[in-house]
Amino acid sequence: MSAAALPARGALRWAWPWLAAACSAILLWWLLDARLTRDLLDWLPYLASGFAMNVLISMLAMTLGTLGGVALGAMELSATRIVRAPAVAYVQVFRNAPHLVLIFATTYIFPFEIIVAGHYLPFPDWLKAVLGLAIPAAAYVAEIARGAIQSVPTTQWDAAKGIGLSRGQTLRWIILPQCLRRALPPWMNLYASITMSTALASLVGVHELLHAATDASTAVRRDDFTIAIYLTVLLAFFLFCYPISRLTRRLERHLARR
Amino acid sequence: MIDAALQRFIELAATLGLHYDFLLSGTEVRSWLAGMGTTLLLVALAIPLSLAAGIAFAAALTSGRPWLALPVRAYVELTRNTPTLVQLMFAFFALNMLLSRALGGAAHNPFTPFFWVVAVTGLHVAAFHAEALRGGIEAVPAPLVEAAQATGFSSLEILRFVTLPLALRTALPALVNNLVNLVKLTTIGSAIAVGEVTYASIMIWTQRDNVLELMIGILLFFGLINLTVSRIGRLVERRLAVPGYGA
Amino acid sequence: MAQDFANRPNLVDLQDVHLSFGEVEVLKGIDLTVAKGDAVSIIGPSGSGKSTILRCINGLAQPQAGRITVAGVRVDTLRSEAERIALRKRIGVVFQQYNLFPHLTVLENITLAPVRILKVPRAEAEGHARDLLARVRLADKVLAYPGELSGGQQQRVAIARALAMRPELVLFDEVTSALDPEMVGEVLAVIRELVREGLTSILVTHEMRFAEEISDTIAFTENGRIVAQAPPAELFYRSDNPRIRQFIGGFQGFRDAVQDREGI
Repeated sequence: MSAAALPARGALRWAWPWLAAACSAILLWWLLDARLTRDLLDWLPYLASGFAMNVLISMLAMTLGTLGGVALGAMELSATRIVRAPAVAYVQVFRNAPHLVLIFATTYIFPFEIIVAGHYLPFPDWLKAVLGLAIPAAAYVAEIARGAIQSVPTTQWDAAKGIGLSRGQTLRWIILPQCLRRALPPWMNLYASITMSTALASLVGVHELLHAATDASTAVRRDDFTIAIYLTVLLAFFLFCYPISRLTRRLERHLARR
Repeated sequence: MIDAALQRFIELAATLGLHYDFLLSGTEVRSWLAGMGTTLLLVALAIPLSLAAGIAFAAALTSGRPWLALPVRAYVELTRNTPTLVQLMFAFFALNMLLSRALGGAAHNPFTPFFWVVAVTGLHVAAFHAEALRGGIEAVPAPLVEAAQATGFSSLEILRFVTLPLALRTALPALVNNLVNLVKLTTIGSAIAVGEVTYASIMIWTQRDNVLELMIGILLFFGLINLTVSRIGRLVERRLAVPGYGA
Repeated sequence: MAQDFANRPNLVDLQDVHLSFGEVEVLKGIDLTVAKGDAVSIIGPSGSGKSTILRCINGLAQPQAGRITVAGVRVDTLRSEAERIALRKRIGVVFQQYNLFPHLTVLENITLAPVRILKVPRAEAEGHARDLLARVRLADKVLAYPGELSGGQQQRVAIARALAMRPELVLFDEVTSALDPEMVGEVLAVIRELVREGLTSILVTHEMRFAEEISDTIAFTENGRIVAQAPPAELFYRSDNPRIRQFIGGFQGFRDAVQDREGI
């Protein structure tokens, strides 16, 4: 590392008081303006229920995306072309696709209810949004998984064989731990990114935080409230995603040093 | 000639269960093409904005001057960790409203929704550019910077002639990645009724219920733009490659 | 290689220069003078502050005490970066690690500073660069990138780059230490020629024989002090300082030369 890195890393540390100052300024504003504070507090439970939806969508989308993505990543590494080609095509198409377009697609193409064994099951919009985000998430996870698997040198397999481990044991104790360590930081980055994309679901009418904020803003119809409510939405996402990104960077640095 | 090919395509698609007859309706095709044009214009304006702002932010972050680095650092962190759509909503419904009021009414406000989409997406991606470039600048070996100092370069000249050119090379893959994201981000313009391709498509499919057909068109369109962006990126990478530096 | 340095003005004058990095005292009172047209070599054990002396001379390091005068400029009192930059334009530096700009061709490496800083017209700067490259015997490498050159070739380009600013003084900081042995000769040959032509220079070096051959005076540093500054013959063969004798004796070849001359 060069000496030039020092002031910048210092700046990161120095950013904390700065952010704290910004937060307390907002708090102070709320305290000074009693009416605004009361209105915000009134709407806070509604906003919170919206944000819970964001978290729910992000977790489900990421779970589905991870399951699909790992499978796709393994397929991408297959020696057989017929297995490899569809996975490569999937990743190519859906990595380049805007998330918003995919959310529109799943929302409008899938029916509002599905028939399973003669029963009509509702297929709500928020679940469609989950699918809309799981589709690109799987494409990204596939790339992360492929990179992680490829990062483990093949000599590790030989070495494990050399000390008498079976194929399964090698995978379990030698290869997977190394893959996971490599994949974790980008996977966390992706989670933060998918979480931020859940705000897009507001555009197809899912009751999440941004949608709740718009509801509140149109209900109260006051400029200071509009500004405050959107700032609150920004702050909520920031407080959720910033720790994740800090942790990711810590892990990356830790990984780079070994 | 074109009409015949179009007819043939529509028939072929119909056998797959896809209804592309809207391509025969002049008004709908025109509005769809106009939407694509708007998307291309958004991209063409936001890309240079993101690069210019990204370089400026990276320069501030590595300047070693806290009064310059700290606000930019705060901006970068805030931007990277909040949804672009929320930023756009905030810019359009809060900042734009304040601007309108300051300028004496919405009629006097020259800033259109189109402007806000370019500004928000461009400056959002600039934060990601800045991080990539900062990494590249800091990766330049310290003795090289010292050599430039010893020759009599000022810190701005060192940035311009030595560290930034080298950082551009190391950061290029990341920058291209960011630009691909930028292209995709322009779709949020539809949220504030900027008539880009997604918005134009919504207008068509609410009339015709042909979502899947339009989706395929949109995905191909974005695939094509992003293919072009990555191709240009790789071309630049090859042009800038120097023997004995970087990968 | 005249020895009458009393008659010529000093280009460089260091008086009682002290410098510490935190707790570590690197320079503990350095006195050094370099007359215009002279070549002065600084020798001594590693970690004795040799390179730091060079960094003080062009303002890359700021001493805590002492006077440094270079070409009439009091370096130690310079406060603004602009003043230091003005000074650095007049002093060339060649580094141990060459430090060529990897993204620029050989020609661009040499012309960058003259064109961008001194605002010399590009054609004129390129003409000068080609002359310099011919002098360092690299006329055929004008369009090569540093990554395509050997260490010795890169170091000769670095010398040409330093000369392109038409400096009044050139500092050579262990310029052969990073080179493979077979490339040391080609670099030293270039420096020898420049010194013969009257270039004022200060060399930090471990090449004893070379230092003896080209220097007008040699300064011996030890532990942050210059313990002796004298013409080579005097310092190498007639010094009564046991540390100097031991240090010089440590270099194989010199021992032989000393023994030959002293008839032991």
